[in-house]
Amino acid sequence: MAFLITFHWGWLLGALALGFAMGWVAVVHRAPGVPRLWMWLLSALAALLVAAALTNLIPGRAGYWLELLLVMFVPYLAGCAVGSWLRAWVVFRSMRAKALG
Amino acid sequence: MRGLFRWSGKWWPGVIPLLVLWGLAAWSSTAPLENDLAGRSSAALKDAVLDKTNVIVDGRDVTVRAEAFSQSGRSSAVAAVAAVPGVRLVDDETRLAPEAKPFAWSAERDVVRVTLGGNAPLPALKSKLVEAARTALNGTEVADQMALARGAPPHFEEAALLLIGQIGKLKDGKFTISDGDITLSGMARELGGREAIATALKKLPEGFKVAGNEVHAPPYILQAYKDPVAVTMTLSGNVPDDNIHAVIAGTSSRKFFDEKVVDNLKNSIGAPSGFVNAVVPALGALSRLSTGTLLVSDREIKLSGDALYDAAAAQIRATLPKEVPPGWQVKAEISVKPQAGPVDPTVCQQLFTDLLSKGTIRFETGRADIDRDSAGLLDRLVEIAMRCPTANIEVAGHTDAAGEEVANQALSEKRAQAVINFLVQAGLSANRFTAAGFGSTQPLASNDTSDGRAQNRRIEFLVR
Repeated sequence: MAFLITFHWGWLLGALALGFAMGWVAVVHRAPGVPRLWMWLLSALAALLVAAALTNLIPGRAGYWLELLLVMFVPYLAGCAVGSWLRAWVVFRSMRAKALG
Repeated sequence: MRGLFRWSGKWWPGVIPLLVLWGLAAWSSTAPLENDLAGRSSAALKDAVLDKTNVIVDGRDVTVRAEAFSQSGRSSAVAAVAAVPGVRLVDDETRLAPEAKPFAWSAERDVVRVTLGGNAPLPALKSKLVEAARTALNGTEVADQMALARGAPPHFEEAALLLIGQIGKLKDGKFTISDGDITLSGMARELGGREAIATALKKLPEGFKVAGNEVHAPPYILQAYKDPVAVTMTLSGNVPDDNIHAVIAGTSSRKFFDEKVVDNLKNSIGAPSGFVNAVVPALGALSRLSTGTLLVSDREIKLSGDALYDAAAAQIRATLPKEVPPGWQVKAEISVKPQAGPVDPTVCQQLFTDLLSKGTIRFETGRADIDRDSAGLLDRLVEIAMRCPTANIEVAGHTDAAGEEVANQALSEKRAQAVINFLVQAGLSANRFTAAGFGSTQPLASNDTSDGRAQNRRIEFLVR
């Protein structure tokens, strides 16, 4: 894991930035959310992929690409969370200022 | 927290650019990653004792193909690669190096190079053998065609190094180890090389033996040339040691009483057995020739030249093969020198006197048997006697004054008769000769000194 992070830190930083931007936008986005069923299916798929990666089930380059995908997903999610949280905080503060004003 | 969960439902559109980013990352990083892992895996195997090592990287999975020389060597190689940071799985395709049966190794020398072939047990020893060959043959090209295999006999290294140390003594040839058997073939560089190699191989380590030694040495040569014009007898070639050198020089000076002996012999080991016992009679035969060449090459004697008369040629051809030790070959190509024209008896007398002033007919001490060293002198006397066929000749024997006079008288007569017998065997008529014995009654010099006594012991030829 440490090797993957040090070798791909540039790409991981990109994923983090992408996630931050997506999280920033998501708070005020009017698009419909993902249906609950889809949420479960995607979560199950993610769990399956993580399990496959941890058990080294997929050999060679395909196995490496799977690991790379999963490793990039982590900073994306983290970026999303931080982005959403910060945006929510900014929106909340401006709304309160407007209400007081 | 509930907000975070609610917003997360809207994070999915970012997955599409993330997948694009992932695609780019995978496309651009796969080859550098594989190269990086291959480099560091190979570096991790650098100190491992392996042959035919091949590292193949697929993603983060490494396949190690190699031939190891022990099971622990295999597992430690795999462990070394598995410990490289970034390697996910190691596919162990190592195997044990094949076991050679029999375990064969060879060192072959030709004109330009030494080729090491066969099997070596370990890579380190392989390079050590090549290095040893380079050191032993300063400047000669060394070609390494050794393969690696298991199954070397114990002490293989010592045996191979010992043989490499000897290959410099070969001009061309091959040393072979097959399990514990050592076979040698080829031609030694110098006389005695064969013996030197055989001596060195006595130090072979336990478990090794010489199964065949076909190393030949250059021929052991001694040459002698009798030149009647320069009145010299030139010796060249080899003699085994100082003692035999002295024997050959001594016998030459006695046999070639008239010629100057030019001694160009040098000492060298490697003489065939019975060398001196073959060379001395061969020189005796040469001394009976007017002009001739003697070539002793290993156990072969070649004598060519001109005898002084027919019977001498026949005697040399018949007796020389019997005089040399068993196992020696004699090739005698003896022709007969044309007889010189007849001369007056007074000239004959002069010739006899001149010749006997240069050389003395020798006898065995106290006996009437003619010493073999005097055969050449007698042949010359026969030749002169043939030139004056009408002259009658008195052969007179004289002794020194040592011993009783009666015995000396008898001995001088017997010796004179022995000389006449030789002349008759040579084909001269017995009627022409009379034997006379004078004991010590006609001394030429004082009998008080050994030189004087030597002068007094003599045979004289008197034409009547």
